[in-house]
Amino acid sequence: MAPDAASRRDEDEVCPVCKSSRYLNPDMRFLINPECYHKMCESCVDRIFSSGPANCPVAGCRKTLRKNRFRKQTFEDIGVEREVDIRRRVMHMQYSQINRITSIRLNRREEEFDSKRAYDDFLEQREDIIGNLVSRIDVAKTEAQLHKYATENMQSIRANQAIEAEEASSFQARISLEQEEARLRRQAAREEYETERREIQAGREDFLSKLASGSSTDAAAIAREGHKVLLKKSSARRSEEERIRQKQAALRSSELKRGSNLSTADFAGADTGLVKGLRKIKTPEPEKPYDPFMGYVPDKRDYYTLQSYYPSQYLDPIRNDARMLAGGYNLQDYYSRTLLEAFAGLSCFIGEEVSQRDAARVTKPAATEGTALAAESGQGV
Amino acid sequence: MIEDDIYRASSQYRLWSYTESSLQSLRATTNAVASERVRAALRRSRETHQSTASSAGTPQSETSAENKIKDANDIECLTPEEELVLVRYYCEKTLELGETYKPPMPTMVRATAIQYLRRFYLTNSPMTYHPKSIMACALFVATKTDNYYMSLRQFAEGIPGETTAEDVIAPEFLLMQGLRFTFDVRHPFRGLEGGVMELQAIAEGQGQPAPHLPHETAEDLQQGLLSIAPPPVPSSSMADRIARAHTKTRELLKSAAQMTDAYFLYTPSQIWLSAFLLADRPLAEFLLDVKLGGPVTATIPPPEIDDNGLVNPLYEIRSKLHRVLSECSALLQSYTPLSSDPVQMKNLKRIAKKLYHCQNPEKVNISAARKRESARPSPAIQSDAGPVTSESESERLAKKRKLEQEEAARQSDDVFGGELVTQRTKH
Repeated sequence: MAPDAASRRDEDEVCPVCKSSRYLNPDMRFLINPECYHKMCESCVDRIFSSGPANCPVAGCRKTLRKNRFRKQTFEDIGVEREVDIRRRVMHMQYSQINRITSIRLNRREEEFDSKRAYDDFLEQREDIIGNLVSRIDVAKTEAQLHKYATENMQSIRANQAIEAEEASSFQARISLEQEEARLRRQAAREEYETERREIQAGREDFLSKLASGSSTDAAAIAREGHKVLLKKSSARRSEEERIRQKQAALRSSELKRGSNLSTADFAGADTGLVKGLRKIKTPEPEKPYDPFMGYVPDKRDYYTLQSYYPSQYLDPIRNDARMLAGGYNLQDYYSRTLLEAFAGLSCFIGEEVSQRDAARVTKPAATEGTALAAESGQGV
Repeated sequence: MIEDDIYRASSQYRLWSYTESSLQSLRATTNAVASERVRAALRRSRETHQSTASSAGTPQSETSAENKIKDANDIECLTPEEELVLVRYYCEKTLELGETYKPPMPTMVRATAIQYLRRFYLTNSPMTYHPKSIMACALFVATKTDNYYMSLRQFAEGIPGETTAEDVIAPEFLLMQGLRFTFDVRHPFRGLEGGVMELQAIAEGQGQPAPHLPHETAEDLQQGLLSIAPPPVPSSSMADRIARAHTKTRELLKSAAQMTDAYFLYTPSQIWLSAFLLADRPLAEFLLDVKLGGPVTATIPPPEIDDNGLVNPLYEIRSKLHRVLSECSALLQSYTPLSSDPVQMKNLKRIAKKLYHCQNPEKVNISAARKRESARPSPAIQSDAGPVTSESESERLAKKRKLEQEEAARQSDDVFGGELVTQRTKH
């Protein structure tokens, strides 16, 4: 029934422009333009739009159409076709149309939102927008909104686009990798089987030749030995295989890790006018240079400035004495050590600091550990 | 100040710095514990003596035995002050002992040995371990920790009298325990060299200002140094003056700083500066002014209050330091060598006699005691853990065993079994 009906309808299909019907021209193909979705036959498109953009020939429609935008209809219902186009435009694919940003890309991802609720709100809002566009409610206003959003969020749109693309490609890569691995495994198994077979063959021949040359008494011994050799060989091979397999597994896991390491890019746009509840994006602070001393400056001193030379009648002869310097003696080390010791602890006022320390140590009755221990052992006896 | 924090990391600061009062109470505690043990030990030795005597059949009246026990109870023990005098005497002896070697031991080694002795006798009493035996060992340990190699045989030969190598090292572990295994002693000697180096550089116009007072130039510093008050003894030049002060300070550090409690109460830099103050006050004051700014006198009140309403920290340090250094100088000045003073020598003789009577008999022979100790499966000797009577020891062991059994029984009830690692018990 259905094919019949379809073919019948096909047969009396008529091009709204040139009025030629399929009955007369069975090769006739219909094209549409997403600008106005008016249907016309291929020959009409060639005829009217070959020489550049022109108005839609359908009466009452004054849209300017271009030939390159004409395409085949995917869905039978023109309404569905239009809705799919709008969805695609709003969410995913990008048209390259001159002078117009057609890819609005309301493609926020769930992890960009503060909560599940915010994400759901966003999805609802997107459906509203699409609904408006489809049923032509407030089209101008909605378009303006989308346009504004697109210009404002160019960067994050790009980033999300990149993430999507990368996901797709990494998925592809993983699949191809798996296939490759499966192929390698199969090949390895085949080779393994082959070598094992060959070895068994060789062992058997060896064993036979031994039997032939040896006397009849040690036949049993030879047989046992031959069996043992075979076993040993196979176990050695097995361990070798095990090693290779482990290596491959490690390789695979590292590959996977690399794949999952896709970082979500930094999004500059925070809450935009259109989309609410976006997570505040913190650009991580640029890493400070590594400081191994945790803020401590190695040669910084508070009491003195280390000089490269101190006049001293004892030390002056050493400065040029090859016997001293040959061994690596460095007068600078002596300077820094003596000066450090000269002033280290100059303002450690032990009287104050130690009494504070002792006061902090309230658990111990005696002033120091030593006496505490002595007292303890005294009580213990 | 960064240098101070570096010093605060040292074991000398963490473990061996005391206030005067805590030092005193520590010595009193040590003395009290040791006297208690000496009395107990003497009583025991007399009891055993008496029992052997009575078993030998010598008739002895009850009253005399009681008298003896009473005697033991009021044995006169050394007071903390007497102990201190004794230890100081042996510190002086250590200096002399170091002198007898050829070549004489470096000052640093001897000073380290003296500090070991002083530290050891903070928690141990001369009544328990006689300083004579500890002294040689301290010096020997100091040669090792100060990187002045000397073989034990060579060392023992240098000691006058009948001292064998075995005797020298017998109390070694004991000493180390008493030192709490901290061998690092921060001396003021090297610090003095540094300070003198700075002064010389300033005198020759090559000095550099302290980081907190960067406005001064080398010329300013030199002018400042040249304009200070003249020394008590006139000298030909600034270099000569500095050298003289240096020598004098060094002498003070070698003797007075070692024989007093300076190391426990002050930091090395404070010690050398106070000795320097004694040697040449204007010079030392000048160095402090250069480092911390502004002369401090008692008459001028602190005027410097910065924007935050706080006293200039440098000024605060300076004024505190002023007090601490004068205290330390007073301490150093108070020292007079024992051997030069007949009154003190007489006092010392009295103390030595007293010590002869109240020496702990169980600890006299350290090497023998050490052998006994190692033969017995008893816990490690704690410093001044003192004599443990055999019955109380066995009682203690029995108690410990009982506790362990209880613990095991308790743990066997545990569903998941006992602990894998038994907790370390503190003896």
